[in-house]
Amino acid sequence: MHPLLLANHLIMLAGGIDGDKRPLDGSEIWGVTLVGLGVVIAALAILVIVILLFGKIFDQINKNQKAKEAAAAAKKKPKQAPAKKAAAPAQAKPAEKPSPAPAVQAVPASDEDEVIAVISAVVAMMSEQDGKNYRIKSVAKSQRNSGFSGRSAWAMDGRRQNVNPF
Amino acid sequence: MLQILQDILSGLWETSGLAGLAAEPLKLLMMCISFLFMYLAIVKGFEPLLLLPISFGMFLSNLPAVLPEDMIFHASYWNEPQSVEWLWKVLHDGGLLDKLYLGVKLQIYPCLIFLGIGTMTDFGPLIANPKSFLLGAAAQGGIFFTFLAAGYMGMSAAECGSIAIIGGADGPTSIYVSSKLLDGADSSLNTGTIALAAYTYMALVPVIQPPIMRLLTTEKERKIKMPQLRTPSKTEKIVFPVVVTLIVALLVPSAASLVGMLMFGNILKESGVAGRLVDTAQNALMNIVTIFLGVSVGATCTASNVANFAFVKVLILGVIAFSLGTACGLGLAKIMNWLSGGKVNPLIGSAGVSAVPMAARISQQEGAKADPTNFLLMHAMGPNVAGVIGSAVAAGVLLSVVNY
Repeated sequence: MHPLLLANHLIMLAGGIDGDKRPLDGSEIWGVTLVGLGVVIAALAILVIVILLFGKIFDQINKNQKAKEAAAAAKKKPKQAPAKKAAAPAQAKPAEKPSPAPAVQAVPASDEDEVIAVISAVVAMMSEQDGKNYRIKSVAKSQRNSGFSGRSAWAMDGRRQNVNPF
Repeated sequence: MLQILQDILSGLWETSGLAGLAAEPLKLLMMCISFLFMYLAIVKGFEPLLLLPISFGMFLSNLPAVLPEDMIFHASYWNEPQSVEWLWKVLHDGGLLDKLYLGVKLQIYPCLIFLGIGTMTDFGPLIANPKSFLLGAAAQGGIFFTFLAAGYMGMSAAECGSIAIIGGADGPTSIYVSSKLLDGADSSLNTGTIALAAYTYMALVPVIQPPIMRLLTTEKERKIKMPQLRTPSKTEKIVFPVVVTLIVALLVPSAASLVGMLMFGNILKESGVAGRLVDTAQNALMNIVTIFLGVSVGATCTASNVANFAFVKVLILGVIAFSLGTACGLGLAKIMNWLSGGKVNPLIGSAGVSAVPMAARISQQEGAKADPTNFLLMHAMGPNVAGVIGSAVAAGVLLSVVNY
């Protein structure tokens, strides 16, 4: 098809083609195809640019807000610090007692025990339902970041539950 | 006395459905087809929410009746040019399904369905990765390349546009475009047959797409894992519908009703202040419109409309449109993967056809088949919802180019 003829028909298309016109000639068919595809791609490409710009603007606004919050937090800290220092001498003598650090470490340990208890309870329930005897031989930490996209077994299972229905 | 009895019985027979069936035996065939669709909807679970109303509407309109006032749907009314007198005739003399079909003919139902879809759609993945818009645009290639094929088959511009829009894999858009283009056109096609083909292929997405996806991608490409998307802020999600409506209305005003209603539904959802309206739009309103749309579109599938070669052409070109759309989306996704140095899984490209969310599910399933730890669903939702906007824009272009 001659390019000038196609260009002429593309211009003619601005006026539209009669819906009942039959058969359409080759340049009209190609005109609608090229113009249609071109307009759809152009419209969505404009949307890509606009949404990308909006994304950057909103990212910048969020960053500025975070920076402001961080600055405000930094201003508050120096005010709180002297108060802590003032309290420190008063706590100096009782500090001979066991430091709170071991107590903080003890919390995850009890959490782990609770988690193991919950797992045992679930296994016991399964055992009752199935009529079979299960035994937990060991509880060990799984290797993260080994072929599972860096997600824990719990996260993987949660994700699988959400995605599987689809 | 005997003569009177004979006259009464004869009159009863002549106005009975049995006489109607004897006069038009093809109605029996159409009823059998409607039973087949009911079976597919109820037993096989093929899009039952829509296929069941469509099949029952088809059954109702093919019930034999001799007298026009007994007919629940008058196929002949819908080939006449629209005027005030015509509207009065439909309202005064028409059956129940004629009155319900006005919502299709006046393009009310497709827009209301878009409102409901808007309240159910999360554009977050698209905002997080706007390049997905391009995949939604590429998948519309199916529409325009089918226009090309239909044009060379000697069809009129209105017929080409009505068949091609099936490639958008969007039922409401197909109804919207075909009801406008075919209104008063000298054509053997009608909105009902276009809608039936569109919804049939949408139900067959899990059958049509996977072979094309496997054919056009390598095992290595299907295993590509994509990084997690960022979470857009609430403000971005609220601004998005306004911006999209504005840009689409500026570029393609004929798409403004569809895109406008889609985005109106979405802003209702994202604003978080209109919970009751969102609840109504995505449940009660959506269900009511689906019932009315399904049953009235099904009613247009009368023997004269469906049992002809034109419908076979719609079915053939429809599947070509759908397959080309899938292939175009995959093609662009492959190019994007190549340009990004292997960071885009090409499977998400096929979701650019707008069958939401089924096309995205298929991308997820095919990705998981190649690698069970590959989660593509959210990445595929971006092109999938972009496809809805893309098909509405393509519809607008067709309506602008073809005079109706």
